[in-house]
Amino acid sequence: MRISRRHMLQAGVLGTSLSLSNFLRLQAEEGKPDSGRSAILVFLGGGPAHQDTFDLKPKAPSEYRGLFSPIQTAVPGVEICEHMPRLAKRADQYALIRGITHSLADHGLGTRYVMTGNLPTPVVDYPMFGSIVSHEYPSKQDLPSFVSIDRPVEGPGYLGAEYGPLSTGEKPRFGQPFRVRGITLDDGLTVQKYNLRRRLRDDIDTAFKGYESLDDAVRGLNRFSEQAYQIISSTRSRNAFDLSLETDREVDRFGRHEFGQSAMLATRLIEAGVRFVTVLLEGWDTHQDNFNTLGRELLPSFDQSLSAMLDRLGERGLLESTSILVTGEFGRTPKINGNAGRDHWSRAMCALLAGGAVRPGQVIGSTNDKAEGPVGTGFSPDDLAATFLQNIGVDPKKEFAANVGRPITVIRNGSPIPGALS
Amino acid sequence: MTRINLVNSRVQFLRLPGFVLRLSIFAIITLIVANGFAEPLPPASQRFADSDVTETPDFQKHVVPLLGRLGCNGRSCHGSFQGRGDLRLSLFGYDFQMDHNSLTAKSPSEQTLRLLVKQPDESLVLQKPLMQVEHEGGERFAVDSWQHRLLRRWIESGAAGVDEPQQLDRLEVEPAEVVFDDSASPVSLRVVAVWGNDQREDVTPLCRFRTNDDSVASVDADGLIMSAGSGDTHVIVFYDNGVASVPVLRPYRSVPASSPKTVSTADVSPQSPIDGFVIKKLGKLSITPSAVCSDSEFLRRVSIDLTGTLPEPREVEGFLADTNLNKRDHKIDELLQRPAYAAWWANKLCDFTGCNPSQQAELGQETSVQWYMWVYERIRENVAYDDIVRRIILAKGRDEGQSYDDYSAEVSSYFREQSPTDFAQRTTMPHYWTRRSMQKPDAAAQAFAHNFLGIRLQCAECHKHPFAPWTQDDFREFSRFFETVKFGVEPQSIERYRELASQVGLSVRDNNGAAVNNDVFKQVQRGRMVPWRELYISSRNEPTTLSLLRSGKVTLQQNDDPRKPIMKWMDEPSNPWFAQAFVNRVWASYFNVGIVDPPDDLNPANPPSNPALLEWLVDEFVQHDFDMKWLHRQIVSSDTYQRSWVPNNTNREDRRNFSRAVPRRLPAEVVYDGVKQAVAASDKADDVRSDLSRRAIGHLSMRLAGTYAMQVFGKPDRAVNCDCERVNQPTLLQAIFLQNDPLVDQRLEDSGWLAQIDGQIAAGTAPTGESLVKEAWLRTLSRVPQPDELARGVKCLAEAESATQGLRDLLWALINTKEFVLIR
Repeated sequence: MRISRRHMLQAGVLGTSLSLSNFLRLQAEEGKPDSGRSAILVFLGGGPAHQDTFDLKPKAPSEYRGLFSPIQTAVPGVEICEHMPRLAKRADQYALIRGITHSLADHGLGTRYVMTGNLPTPVVDYPMFGSIVSHEYPSKQDLPSFVSIDRPVEGPGYLGAEYGPLSTGEKPRFGQPFRVRGITLDDGLTVQKYNLRRRLRDDIDTAFKGYESLDDAVRGLNRFSEQAYQIISSTRSRNAFDLSLETDREVDRFGRHEFGQSAMLATRLIEAGVRFVTVLLEGWDTHQDNFNTLGRELLPSFDQSLSAMLDRLGERGLLESTSILVTGEFGRTPKINGNAGRDHWSRAMCALLAGGAVRPGQVIGSTNDKAEGPVGTGFSPDDLAATFLQNIGVDPKKEFAANVGRPITVIRNGSPIPGALS
Repeated sequence: MTRINLVNSRVQFLRLPGFVLRLSIFAIITLIVANGFAEPLPPASQRFADSDVTETPDFQKHVVPLLGRLGCNGRSCHGSFQGRGDLRLSLFGYDFQMDHNSLTAKSPSEQTLRLLVKQPDESLVLQKPLMQVEHEGGERFAVDSWQHRLLRRWIESGAAGVDEPQQLDRLEVEPAEVVFDDSASPVSLRVVAVWGNDQREDVTPLCRFRTNDDSVASVDADGLIMSAGSGDTHVIVFYDNGVASVPVLRPYRSVPASSPKTVSTADVSPQSPIDGFVIKKLGKLSITPSAVCSDSEFLRRVSIDLTGTLPEPREVEGFLADTNLNKRDHKIDELLQRPAYAAWWANKLCDFTGCNPSQQAELGQETSVQWYMWVYERIRENVAYDDIVRRIILAKGRDEGQSYDDYSAEVSSYFREQSPTDFAQRTTMPHYWTRRSMQKPDAAAQAFAHNFLGIRLQCAECHKHPFAPWTQDDFREFSRFFETVKFGVEPQSIERYRELASQVGLSVRDNNGAAVNNDVFKQVQRGRMVPWRELYISSRNEPTTLSLLRSGKVTLQQNDDPRKPIMKWMDEPSNPWFAQAFVNRVWASYFNVGIVDPPDDLNPANPPSNPALLEWLVDEFVQHDFDMKWLHRQIVSSDTYQRSWVPNNTNREDRRNFSRAVPRRLPAEVVYDGVKQAVAASDKADDVRSDLSRRAIGHLSMRLAGTYAMQVFGKPDRAVNCDCERVNQPTLLQAIFLQNDPLVDQRLEDSGWLAQIDGQIAAGTAPTGESLVKEAWLRTLSRVPQPDELARGVKCLAEAESATQGLRDLLWALINTKEFVLIR
């Protein structure tokens, strides 16, 4: 099996003939310039109805256009759903991409496609964005570089388990203590107690004494154990996840609902230095009662939380260094079904991009009069992925020495959407 | 026109004893005189060096390889999918027709033919690599060099292509093996191509070379090998369709002995043939293997590797106290009898065959558990490996002669709540083929080759495999075998299917049938018979003759089961992959690497580190009728398996030749079960270990798939065809998990053992601190604590709020040691 030092470096693989100390030394020598960008991915799980959110068709026949009306945004000529007034006012802070299209109308496959930017195949396990970023730009020593709120959305694929997210394990809920799986010290376990246990552990963990540098497995365990300790015991991590440190004003700005609290945590984590945060907002799979669900529950909370996120990042001067993508796995059927709902539809969907080098205040792409499909060729999830990654400072054409014996281009078939980034 | 051939690409070098050599020299001279049998043609670098060369280069033998050597048709240049600068060539030159067309065509950007026969020097094909016109790839050769002359000669002689590709028989590389001495002077390779018509040519300047480990040796473009460090690897040679590998070794220098005890090779008497082969290879590297490991290390290691289970405390004490000289062998036999052995290895066979709930055709959890249990029963019965495979590969939904109704009734009975039929009693296991991921023939072909042959065909889906002989044709033909393997409703049964479906309210859109939905499933559970789709073989339109991965041709009649000839071929002793893939994967399960590594990529550019060892093991496995227990026993009873992890002064750097045990992380399932086991109450301990329905290595294996703990520790989803999916390296999330995950906390809090001790303390019958500490060590690390460890443990108990609380802290500390999570 071909092993060149350079490839091992790129793959970040332990347990090979390249020793860890050599790996770390080479990594230092490589001197990878850090883009300084972080990222937030807001995943609207279930597939949000594009024609009822960001791509309304008021002139379509009633069985297509649905019950919502569009409203003017801060950008002349751009309209979005009436149930997102706050986002409408902030349209000059983000770009909308309409007419994204693919053919995988299944939750699993669609999610995998959109989150990895590569058509799913049983041959290669493509990594999702956060794993790529955490591979390229690791975080500070006492903070995980990649966090998912709450469940991971797709995994690290060929990059290896090391680049999976720290998943919070549960969603933050207003009024309840928030426990982060693995970070929070649980009932009764104080930092002192934890330190005591660690000291005990150090005293008895002597089996490999004198041979710490011998093998990658041993070295890896030492390194990660130390890093885990720093994350669990340090105030930086614990504070980053401690929502009780937020003022009431902030809590109310984001909203006391699930979306709001998750968005607030994500923003907080970016401020602390986490490089990539995924926020899973669920409930968009509206096969029935689409309009009540969207109009009464989902859109108002979504509107409030995303606006608060944009505002706060802007206020703290972080919008320029934070790349934001908001999307789901597909759109929904143009014709309303018998249950006042819409079903899966991958031929048309949309996404929202903000922060970083995104040129805000515009719409790129469009769909036909019934929002059935793109006008022209539209954009693929590959293109969307390439745009997002480029905005984080990762070259979408970069090649990784994957664990399948050949180099793999990060986004092989997509290119950044023209005009999206400056 | 693509290549059609090449099978044999071994390194050849004849070594003959003296008199035979003299005799054969005489014979050779006679032959030369008699038959014109020639010494190999001198290299092209000589033959095309002069300006007045008259020889016409051959497109296949000279021009295309030269383009490979110069890097023109590599991945990053003209060989990439988009080509480069509007010239596209086939990757490493596998497609003569395409390359010839490209080279003789007009360049769209330059608006001129790429080569001009009448004015060769005006050809872009020369001007570009000479940098006479702008060329992103830079200067590839100098004016009047032999490369220049060769290409110029080819153009001016008419730039002919290839009508009928010649067959390369083999590559002969000298030397056949490189062993660096202390001087470590570079070694040049000489490569002779032997063609089907016995023509021989020195092709050294037309080859591509690459090293498999540049920390051991590097090789330059001309085939000059330079030593970079001690150890061993291979240099791979590529020419035309041929791939040859040259072992390159440099013995380790002994570090001055700091410890008095060094075992010399002479002292080490091989225990088994395995040891013989390993020690022979180690001798070449001046490596002495480490001594054999201690009893407690052995017991823990072999229990985990054979049964996926930590040994329990009484067992450890018993084994350590046993004075029988053959106790290790007895323990091995005993472990092979345990149900946990079958459970663990059923798990591994499910890894190798891809049992994944989310890929199943329907009822993912239920069918994947059925798959697992079926394999488990076969291993319990010690059914031969090839037999298990046969019963998976040749499976059909129905038994021979079974009616559709009877079939549906049987399948329905697997799921009914009242005395269900046991799926595991079936002769065959159809779920391998019915997965959604196997419905397309080319997906099935890739999966099949990976699962049972250990080869990666996927490269050949789009272009010729860069370093194995597989062409796109090979891939296409192999895929076509699987065209008639179907999952759905047989045409003759569709009427009956629809009838039954309407009776139970199952709506069916087309003639392929439908998955059983929730409502229908509820009826099944109540005992109702419902219609099911089945695995069957459909008919071909006409007889078809297909090439079976270059082993020969197979003619399939209209109604033939295409899997039968494949299974027959796999069973033949001459099949190069079937037994080898399995034997090597099993070996890789016991060590840090396989003899071929990675184990699912058997190809000529990935040679075994010890070919004699692998060959012997494979031959014997086949001789022993694919008896898996034989294989396991053979491996784990060897000294090689039982080596200590502690290095000596000769083998610190060796991680490839099995001179010592390299510490490996516990598999995900074993960590999960191990923590549970460590905290279980004494009277429950046995149950916790042996009740497979509640163990991660057992029935829970499928249900736990995809859960956080399993993900973090790298249990594979089996969503892709790669052994690499199981992650054995430590990661940050694993450390966080063992230190602070709520699941681990909960197990410690709810520990039956600690509750038991609380009870004993209350009753005044608590064991001493020392005996508690000792028990904690036995439960987690499978050994007795050293005196200083014992003292530290006792101190911990004494200083805590209660002995129980102290013990809880101690258990936490123990499962967070490296020793717990490593197999050493």
